[in-house]
Amino acid sequence: MTTVVRDDLSDAHRRSLAHVVSPGARLTGEQRRRIAEVAIEAYLSAAPTPPWVRPFGDPALDLAYRLGRHAGTITKDWYEQIVTEGMHPVEWVEVVGVVIAALPPVAFARAIGAPLPALPPAVPGPPTGREADELAPARLNFVPVAAPADRMPSVVQALSAVPDDWNNLWQLAEAQYMSDRAMDDPLWNRGTLSRPQMELVAGRLSLIRECFF
Amino acid sequence: MLSWSSHEDGTPADVLALASGDGDAGLPHGAALMAFAEAIAGWDDTVLAGARARLVAEAGEAFMIDAAAVAANFEMMTRVADGTGAQHAPDVMTRVVGLAEALGMAAPHADGPP
Repeated sequence: MTTVVRDDLSDAHRRSLAHVVSPGARLTGEQRRRIAEVAIEAYLSAAPTPPWVRPFGDPALDLAYRLGRHAGTITKDWYEQIVTEGMHPVEWVEVVGVVIAALPPVAFARAIGAPLPALPPAVPGPPTGREADELAPARLNFVPVAAPADRMPSVVQALSAVPDDWNNLWQLAEAQYMSDRAMDDPLWNRGTLSRPQMELVAGRLSLIRECFF
Repeated sequence: MLSWSSHEDGTPADVLALASGDGDAGLPHGAALMAFAEAIAGWDDTVLAGARARLVAEAGEAFMIDAAAVAANFEMMTRVADGTGAQHAPDVMTRVVGLAEALGMAAPHADGPP
């Protein structure tokens, strides 16, 4: 069977993987690519290490692994431990941005039974330094966010410290789920699943992942 | 979102079916959709292949592809939430805590990240 995927969805996934391997706010393309490799390995592993094991002894890679496979076990205490070890909070946000950019194309391909996409080669160059103009501690997230904090829902402001990763998140969401504008329309659909059917898939998967969002 | 959209859509869904995965939640292809979502969240590729084939047989390939896209989106959004300690605002919390308990989930925190 030849599976036909919407062009906008294929393009969004392609853009996301290109984003993964490009220099980020604080990390090089090479570092981001390695983080993505680890997250994908964790996501697909037949025998993952337990959540409390740090398989790499490297804060960024250990975070990538845990987020890739055991995301629901990440706590504020663990975040603070990693930051105490020297990871800057904005780097934590960037690692989250890399992992959530790398996994959807893989998860989607696995779901539809297509070959898993390969990561492109890393784009050379130094980190871009592009971060929010002003950061603020948030009450609704344990990571810092673009100021002013807590004026929007926690999942919306979550990656706002790193605008390029924030933009990638929402370009993926628009192709995979729906645009911001469509969110308020309970009847919006693409002509396949109805909105309630979309929410059924979202709700069942989120519940299994033990995530109330 | 499921409760709201299904009411507006005229097909009120059984939200509690999310917890058990049993039945069809009152929606067309509901059982096949929940089985597909569950298989994507699991790690058994044979189970996933079976759930995929069932959904394609019931609703067609384009339907399965869009269901997979939604699942991929929530593999993403759950990690955004978990990786940044995302919590509901207090006014939202009062509405969702009862639902969380009904679904057998730990009540979300109202006073900031755990």
